[in-house]
Amino acid sequence: MKLECNKNKIESAIQKTARLANKHLTLPVLACVYLDATTSNKLIIKATNLDIGLEVEVKIKTIESGVVAVPANVLLGVLSSIKDDNLVIETKDNNLKITANKNSVVIKCLPHEDFPTIPRLENLKSIKIKSNDLILGFKSVWYSASNSNIKPELSSVYIYKNDSSLVFVSTDSFRLAEKKINTKVPDDFPQTLIPYKNVIEIIKLFEDYKDEIEVIFDKNQMAFKVDDMYLVSRLIDGSFPDYKQIIPKTYNTAATVLKNDLINSIKTSNIFSDALNKIKLKVDVKNKTLNIESKNNDVGESQEYISANTSGENVELNFNSKYINDCMQSISSDSLVLDFGGVGKPLAISGATDKSFLYIVMPMNR
Amino acid sequence: MDTKELWNNILPEIESSVSKANFATWFKDTKISGFEDGVVYLSVPNTFVQEWLLKKFHQLILKLLRQSSESIHRLEYVIKEESKQKNQYIPTKTCSPTRELPLSEHYINKDDNLNPRYTFESFVVGPFNELAHAAAQAVIKNLGVAYNPFFIYGNTGHGKTHLIQAIGNAVKAVDPSKKIFYLTSEKFQNDFVSSMLANNINQFKDKYRKYDMLIMDDIQFLSGKEKTQEELFHLFNTMKDSNKHIVFSSDKHPNFITGLEDRLKSRFAAGMVIDIPAPDHESRVAIIKSKCSSINLFLDDEIIDYLADSIKGNIRDLEGVINLIVCQTETKNKTLILNEVKDLVKNSIKQKKLLSYKEVVKIISDFYKISEEIIYEKTRKKEVIKPRQVIMYILREDFCISYPSIGEKLGGRDHTTVIHSCEKIKKDIQVDELLSKEIREIRSMIG
Repeated sequence: MKLECNKNKIESAIQKTARLANKHLTLPVLACVYLDATTSNKLIIKATNLDIGLEVEVKIKTIESGVVAVPANVLLGVLSSIKDDNLVIETKDNNLKITANKNSVVIKCLPHEDFPTIPRLENLKSIKIKSNDLILGFKSVWYSASNSNIKPELSSVYIYKNDSSLVFVSTDSFRLAEKKINTKVPDDFPQTLIPYKNVIEIIKLFEDYKDEIEVIFDKNQMAFKVDDMYLVSRLIDGSFPDYKQIIPKTYNTAATVLKNDLINSIKTSNIFSDALNKIKLKVDVKNKTLNIESKNNDVGESQEYISANTSGENVELNFNSKYINDCMQSISSDSLVLDFGGVGKPLAISGATDKSFLYIVMPMNR
Repeated sequence: MDTKELWNNILPEIESSVSKANFATWFKDTKISGFEDGVVYLSVPNTFVQEWLLKKFHQLILKLLRQSSESIHRLEYVIKEESKQKNQYIPTKTCSPTRELPLSEHYINKDDNLNPRYTFESFVVGPFNELAHAAAQAVIKNLGVAYNPFFIYGNTGHGKTHLIQAIGNAVKAVDPSKKIFYLTSEKFQNDFVSSMLANNINQFKDKYRKYDMLIMDDIQFLSGKEKTQEELFHLFNTMKDSNKHIVFSSDKHPNFITGLEDRLKSRFAAGMVIDIPAPDHESRVAIIKSKCSSINLFLDDEIIDYLADSIKGNIRDLEGVINLIVCQTETKNKTLILNEVKDLVKNSIKQKKLLSYKEVVKIISDFYKISEEIIYEKTRKKEVIKPRQVIMYILREDFCISYPSIGEKLGGRDHTTVIHSCEKIKKDIQVDELLSKEIREIRSMIG
């Protein structure tokens, strides 16, 4: 293999793929990126962690075709230190040689025959969806997924079609986030469970992409395809719990507050909260305030008062502040509504004007 | 063929012919999940493994398989996540300070409403339900053609819901593109009523007509709901005409569901009507064993036998007692002995209901829709004579009351009249299908 290429282009492609090339206990070649220069003037860079597979294409000038598997972190380190624009990359007896104006490095490679094939989903049902919509849906909910392996359904983001919107949901059984995205998708959009770890990668990869993404469905996997990138993810075979039934229909207390007020108060309270991140939310209907209290025997205590538009009865509940803080990034409107169900009942948080996002969080015991 | 042993024999051979890294990465968590008509189904954890085995080791595996058995001529891969099944019954211990959302444990698929836990793998087939099971298999093989409609009836807790949901899940597994929908008759009715109120009855019709298979549970609750029945009748005709399958379940034979329109009854009878009676002793043993193994509970054969013996009929009661045993075992942290189980079970065994003769008379006269008092009167009207004779027969056969005392209780009749009635019913049952069915129905009501 021998090729000439632009250093910045290839560096950004390696950066994307290298995230997936991690050490693997039994298969060392998985710590490599796979450079495939068999098509003329095109280099395909592949990486996989056997859960997710990624291919990125870069335009190059092929001199001699070939393939090689090279340790990703070494290659990335080399590329970031080279300052020249043009590189020559070639293989020399199982090593990869990179030559620039003033540098020349040789990287030891691994047998490329061991590198797994990345499944190509072709001739299957596919849809086009705006990248912005997809990423916004994922970003709004993924953090609520459970990071334990016991229930794969809960370690996933659940996507399904409902009327004219695509609904993204995730829950770790303590809180639940649901985001509805108004977008055109066909009626037979299948219910899908994508592992949340893969969702993080999808967000990272397509966040800056502005065009439409082609989404291809298969029974156990799903692929995302744009001009120069192809990502295939495993899907979870299972059913998401029937979460609709736990969304409370009636509330005892409602408080509308400014989002920034709440974020700031939680920030302060966090300094004084204990190991369990416990904060106390108190709605005072008479004085029209939402009070946030926290106390730590070693540090001190704090009391914050936020003016709020309130209705219903007074209520006082403890929450894990992290759970409440998590959802702030997903609410676009500047004020938000807290709906309390009462003692032992969940709290629902949503934007005051934008109802596409709903967050439900359970209070702490005692 | 023991597929587990077959695979265990082959694995070392593969191990010797591939590198250690390759073996550990690609052959971990593989197993033979099935063997049918010369095709071996190898279950693998994900698509990467599937692609890799197909590309690199397909020939090798097939060669080794053929060496051990000539009958194997093809190898196919199925993707199955093992970890999930292993973990299915690990109870989540909540040590978290935050309360949990009350998410239900029953994960139900939104599209088809089926509970994925109800499969044929977990369905115990015994002499009592083998006919129903065989018919269900025929339905799956010839969807829309064989036994349409398929009507299952039997008392509560005999496994009707499990069977009909398993049909749905099996059809879905064979062909995922088939649209299946499971619902209870109550849901159907609610849907119908709300669509009438919202004035979009056509939407309702379209919704149900697009399914390839409709599974309706507990049809007896439609009794007396005339409008809903009419809608079901039309839906039924459309689906049947377009060769779409319909599966029903009920607690009675359709002919005995009171308040069900005759045209529906006759249509139900046109397909396959199968009874699931109470499980026999051996089947109960098998059910207990399969339940225990699915939750990793070890029980002595003696205890299993005792449970099967003392809890008759309802499978749900069996499950309840097993759950009780699990709970006790966990708290006491040791396996229970027979006497402890007996103590536990004592409370959950249903006492056989003791009915007074008056209650029997009431049940039977209600069954024949005549008033209770008329039984005791001297009238010899035809519509009264038969129920009266049935009452005498039941009192004699099931409650072992003496002939004279039966006569006395039913309005002072002579004991020879009673003897004659009992003999007549006994004889008629042999020839009269309808009568024998009625008697069975009545007996199930008396319990």
